[in-house]
Amino acid sequence: MKFRREAAGEAETLISADRESREEVRELAEALSLYRSAMSHLAERSSVHPRAAATRAAAAFRFRLLLGPALGAALAAGILLPMYGHLHHRDAVALQAQEKTTPDAALARASVDDTVLMNQIDSQLSETVPDALAPLADLSAQASAQSSVSEKKQ
Amino acid sequence: MEEIATTDLAIEKREQAVLELADFDEVVRVYRPRILRFLLASLADSDTAETLTQECFLKAWAARHQFRGESSLSTWLTRIAVNLMRDHLRSRSLRFWQKTRGTALDALDISDWLPDGRSSPESLAVARRQVAEVWKAVQKLSAQQRTVFALRFVEEMELDEIAAALSMNLSTVKSHLYRALAIVRERMGGKR
Repeated sequence: MKFRREAAGEAETLISADRESREEVRELAEALSLYRSAMSHLAERSSVHPRAAATRAAAAFRFRLLLGPALGAALAAGILLPMYGHLHHRDAVALQAQEKTTPDAALARASVDDTVLMNQIDSQLSETVPDALAPLADLSAQASAQSSVSEKKQ
Repeated sequence: MEEIATTDLAIEKREQAVLELADFDEVVRVYRPRILRFLLASLADSDTAETLTQECFLKAWAARHQFRGESSLSTWLTRIAVNLMRDHLRSRSLRFWQKTRGTALDALDISDWLPDGRSSPESLAVARRQVAEVWKAVQKLSAQQRTVFALRFVEEMELDEIAAALSMNLSTVKSHLYRALAIVRERMGGKR
């Protein structure tokens, strides 16, 4: 009697579980069918009116087309300009530091430069006067001689 | 005798498929919505789906002389679409900064496209909720699982057709489908 009651209870549980399971599968099948239906409608609508999406895609493409080079240029400017500034500044600082550490060398270099310049000027002045300018050279020599004679008389 | 009849039928099917491809305008008219639907379900992005659908038919046109009818035209086109989709997903994973999609579909978009043939506003609301739930669950699947799921439950393809379209073993297809269905079922409140 007890065994029968237990068996009946188990059977009822199984039937109930089976009913639930079947109900769940039915709901899932219905949901999948609705999902398919919605996807079909969306695809059909897009097939009939593909222009809106195509226009959006083209606009996005144009935007990317312009945005790419603009971003590239900005990035390059952002990286290269500070790099150039940094290198320039570093050279100047290095030169200044070098001059600070060796002031005598800087002075010596300046005096050497001056000597070279003075020698260059001297050599140009002492060059022989070209033939075409010889009369002028004579005149200037005579003028300087006369002025020295008059100075002596005075 | 039966074997000869089967061979004849296969040859006839091939010839029919090749002939079908000859009228390409008709091919586009018939298969475009299917390919677009599959790509929409797999990618969840309307613009990308549109673009890849166009590319799919361009590729099919370019390769139409290579089609020998070994598979159905639908399977052949699906295979092209799957390859394009794989390439797209691969390149998108490299372009990580383009993750934000302006034309991404969401659950509300999809449920709005439900045909309005319900008896009452309540039943329509329930149906919309169900569609949105499935959509959300499908978005959680891996790319492979989603593709198999879309081919089975949206395109209603047979398992061997799916295997042919994806160049996969039948057992792999079954495994992906089983896992995908289990995840969808679980997310919809059922048992795993």
